[in-house]
Amino acid sequence: MIFVAILIGCILGAIIGMNTPMISYTYSSYLAIAIIAALDSVFGGIASVIKKNFDLKIFISGFFGNAILAILLTILGQKLNVDIYLAAIVVFVWRMFMNLGTIRRYYVEKWSDKFIKKEEKEKTTEKEVAEK
Amino acid sequence: MTNKKKTSLVLGIMCFALTLGIVVQLRTVKNTNSTVSQNYEENNLRAEVLKYKERYENKYKDLEKAQAELEKVREKATQNNGELEEAENQIKQANKINGTTEVTGPGIIITLTDGKSIPTTLNPNDLIVHYLDILSVVNELKNAGAEAISVNDQRIVNTTGISCSGNIIDINGERVGSPFVIKAIGLPEYLANLSRPGGYLEKMKDDGVDVKTEKSNSVTIPKYTGVMTFKYLKNVE
Repeated sequence: MIFVAILIGCILGAIIGMNTPMISYTYSSYLAIAIIAALDSVFGGIASVIKKNFDLKIFISGFFGNAILAILLTILGQKLNVDIYLAAIVVFVWRMFMNLGTIRRYYVEKWSDKFIKKEEKEKTTEKEVAEK
Repeated sequence: MTNKKKTSLVLGIMCFALTLGIVVQLRTVKNTNSTVSQNYEENNLRAEVLKYKERYENKYKDLEKAQAELEKVREKATQNNGELEEAENQIKQANKINGTTEVTGPGIIITLTDGKSIPTTLNPNDLIVHYLDILSVVNELKNAGAEAISVNDQRIVNTTGISCSGNIIDINGERVGSPFVIKAIGLPEYLANLSRPGGYLEKMKDDGVDVKTEKSNSVTIPKYTGVMTFKYLKNVE
């Protein structure tokens, strides 16, 4: 059900995105930073599901809050003539890598555990065969 | 179950927002077709130029709106006055001739594209459409009685210059590149005579340039978008 909802959301977004009028170049940098922030919170959400402390409210607030904060910081940076968005990108990408690391470690451990169990099973069956 | 439904709904909406943003951003970046350079300064300058271009376009839209409003007001003011109506018609006529209004009528569309295949026997320089080619074609069109001409939506008016600027052509101060779509309004049969044997278009075809001519019953030619200033012009008394 969740995957179906995600798939429908993605397809709808792509179709509507193809047909909407283009945003002006001035605002494309804001949208870019918002996308990075949203991607970061998606990875954060997956990582928290694995850690089993996933909370929908925290996920939603992070998704929109991070994006809005990143846009506001970029605007502030442009007003002050400081490239604050660089700092935001560094933080978001760093966190993305951390979360990806968590996800990777979980799946690699799961996979290697399965492998070890299979080997043990084979060994026991071999022993049983030998005993018989 | 309701909890699961809620979760999937929220995730769907979020994925929708994310993909929408990504697709719009990709299209915007693709449209600006600015290749990302390694040079930080260069990127900044490019972004600045794009921003100014956008501002110019917005201002131009405002101007167009104001002009349309002016037109309306003028029409209203001259509605019930014969003398003023005459003046209004004169203004409209003058605008049509000057090239400051969009015009439509029967005519011809000529498309000149740089030649692609490069036979070794030909001079590769001949395959390219040069500014002199455009000038000659425009000249021949005028000779054949064209009443309005545009090249790639740049209206040819009496202040228009066609000049060479590197690998592109400068018309009305705007940069124009291949393929060149030359539209002209006039008697189509006369204008189509440009492709006569031994004519300029025939010569270009022989040189390897891709030439297409198409007669049409309704050719729409856009108005001149620049500003015409006459500082030194005075009436003789």
